[in-house]
Amino acid sequence: MTCREVIPIHPITPMPHAGNPRLVRAILKNAPVCASFKLPAKACRHGLEGLSIMGVDQIKASLNLGAVLQNLAELCRLDPESQKLIRDWDVCVQFTVFAGPKAWVEFRGGECRTGLGTTALSDVHLVFVTPGHLNAMFAGSAIPPIPVKGFKRLGFLKNEFPRITARLEHYLKPGPGMLDDPAFLAANTTLTLHTAANALRELVKTEPTAGKIAAGTPTGRLQLAVGSDGPAAWVSFSPNGMEVGRGRLEHPDATMTFRDIPVAQGVLSGKEDGLAAIGRGEVVIWGMLPLIDSATLIMDRVERYLA
Amino acid sequence: MTPYEYPKSTELLARASKVIPGGIYGHFGPPPYVPVSAYPFWSDRAQGAHFWDVDGNRFIDYMCAYGPMILGYANPVVDAAYKAQMEQADSNSLCSPRMIELAELMVDMIPIADWAFFAKNGADMTNLAVMTARAATNRKKIIAIKGGYHGTTPWMQGPGHHGLTDDDLNHIIRIPFNDIVALERAISQYPNDVAGFISSPYHHPIFTDNELPAPGYWQQVQALLKKNGIVFIIDDVRAGFRVNLGGTCEQYGFKPDLIAFCKAIGNGYPISALVGTEALRNDVSKVFHTGSYWFSAGPMAAAIATLTELRRIDGPKILRETGEKLAKGMIDVAASHGYTIKVSGEPSMMYVRITDDPTLMLQQAWCGECTRRGAFFTSHHNWFVSTAHTDEDIQETLRICDEAFKAVKKTA
Repeated sequence: MTCREVIPIHPITPMPHAGNPRLVRAILKNAPVCASFKLPAKACRHGLEGLSIMGVDQIKASLNLGAVLQNLAELCRLDPESQKLIRDWDVCVQFTVFAGPKAWVEFRGGECRTGLGTTALSDVHLVFVTPGHLNAMFAGSAIPPIPVKGFKRLGFLKNEFPRITARLEHYLKPGPGMLDDPAFLAANTTLTLHTAANALRELVKTEPTAGKIAAGTPTGRLQLAVGSDGPAAWVSFSPNGMEVGRGRLEHPDATMTFRDIPVAQGVLSGKEDGLAAIGRGEVVIWGMLPLIDSATLIMDRVERYLA
Repeated sequence: MTPYEYPKSTELLARASKVIPGGIYGHFGPPPYVPVSAYPFWSDRAQGAHFWDVDGNRFIDYMCAYGPMILGYANPVVDAAYKAQMEQADSNSLCSPRMIELAELMVDMIPIADWAFFAKNGADMTNLAVMTARAATNRKKIIAIKGGYHGTTPWMQGPGHHGLTDDDLNHIIRIPFNDIVALERAISQYPNDVAGFISSPYHHPIFTDNELPAPGYWQQVQALLKKNGIVFIIDDVRAGFRVNLGGTCEQYGFKPDLIAFCKAIGNGYPISALVGTEALRNDVSKVFHTGSYWFSAGPMAAAIATLTELRRIDGPKILRETGEKLAKGMIDVAASHGYTIKVSGEPSMMYVRITDDPTLMLQQAWCGECTRRGAFFTSHHNWFVSTAHTDEDIQETLRICDEAFKAVKKTA
């Protein structure tokens, strides 16, 4: 029942020779950014038994794009400083992992929108040669992505975009004492809740065990919420795949309601014992409990990849 | 009546959560009790079909300690046998003759049994059954039923559960209950590699209607397993002695090779048993499987008394009649309020569901209201009745059901 940590997004440093076709070919040929190619095909590190490093990188990349990056939209909704930052931005950035996940983030009219897959509206298109390449960037690597579109916006990527990702990192990786500030705590919890919901979908898509858990889960929609008017997200299990969303459903099949922000933060961060919190009435569950059981089992797997 | 409140219970749970993981772990833990506020969690007194929580609230118990309590709490016959044995010896450096007497009794009562092996919990026996199947066949795969429960050893759990590796489930094949085609497919998918097939005698998962075997299902299974040299294991841990004293398989007319028992065998005293056919005697004797308390004589004496008493009073008949009275009464009460109750499984351990709300929220609210009025109902698991439940208990329970429906309607 934990989503203990989320990966910090580090500023993107555009490659000085971005767009150079020779360089792109060289990178694709040598794949120097992915040291994991050199490791044994089956690795048993980090408790990821049975998954190849390629498989682990693919899962991490899906989580980075599908769960962490997606939070920029929520960040811009709840953080006044972020709103100020993006007020005049007019750009859409496409992230593409070669033979891997894709996502985009758009800043227009003072708002931020994000999405999975590709958009025809991108002004900048960044390509990563492998999932490991993307993950390295999310982990702070200096090895840059390959811009294949929007060379004129490299200044934006170098100077402005990192400021919004820094805000996200500020909230998702709080320093000592920061969670004592109620407003900060609320923002951190909201972002963590949405990261957890999105991560659930990404794991079901990419991780074999999460897929098996989802396959054994009855069809239904689970509401995750804080109090009666706090942040809320939902996840939907069905044979056709998993969907997630923000906000409150009118008729969920199961609900998991955290009494307040501190309880939600404690449980979602793994600092508090979620089962004991249910016993104390701090977390209230109703309805089709198998949905909650499966969702929390899958969420608990996130830390294997984003720790 | 004024619904119960649980201040002391709540206080104890808070205290427990400081020193016990989750406050209470396992199937007694709070999560399935929805809403948690409707349930007590601590009790220190039980008698007959009733228990009292630490706040002094009295409950007619329809969980029966999740199955073990079949003759009622503190049954005088069983308790006397246990106490008498305890005065002689319990844990000892040598086995007690009670072990032979209990094995003889079980071999006498259970038609397929040529031997008996004792332990403490159901999982001890389902594990032994699977090891025996593998030892007997030199094969790896075990076919089990989707949603079937055989304990918490890693191979028995679902994917992704904490503490498991993917390897733990590598040799477990899950198929639907009552699906002979799926069984045929699984066997043909792993030719000469399936060691055993394990299932409860009827399907009693949680959160879902229970399912009795279709006519002819078990006979087809038995023939198919025999043809392919696969050991046939019945997990009768939950249903054992509640449906038929010869094992639930006798009720449905089939003969497995191994049957695991626990729960009702000792009326609450900790003991489990695996019984099996002559053909597997040598194989099971070669499997090294033991435990610190598996030779305790007290629970064996209690089990002898329990089984003897169940045979004397025809326990399964009483349980069936009690369950049927309760089920019919509840269905009628629900109908009088415009609701539909569906009862599935065997009457002695029925699964009850209000069909008007597929999310189970209505069911949870109603079970909670019943519990707060003194009928201890869970909303996720099959219930149990005991031979100690009286007609007065049933009538009182139906009055509670009626009040609970009124309360649910008022808050709906």
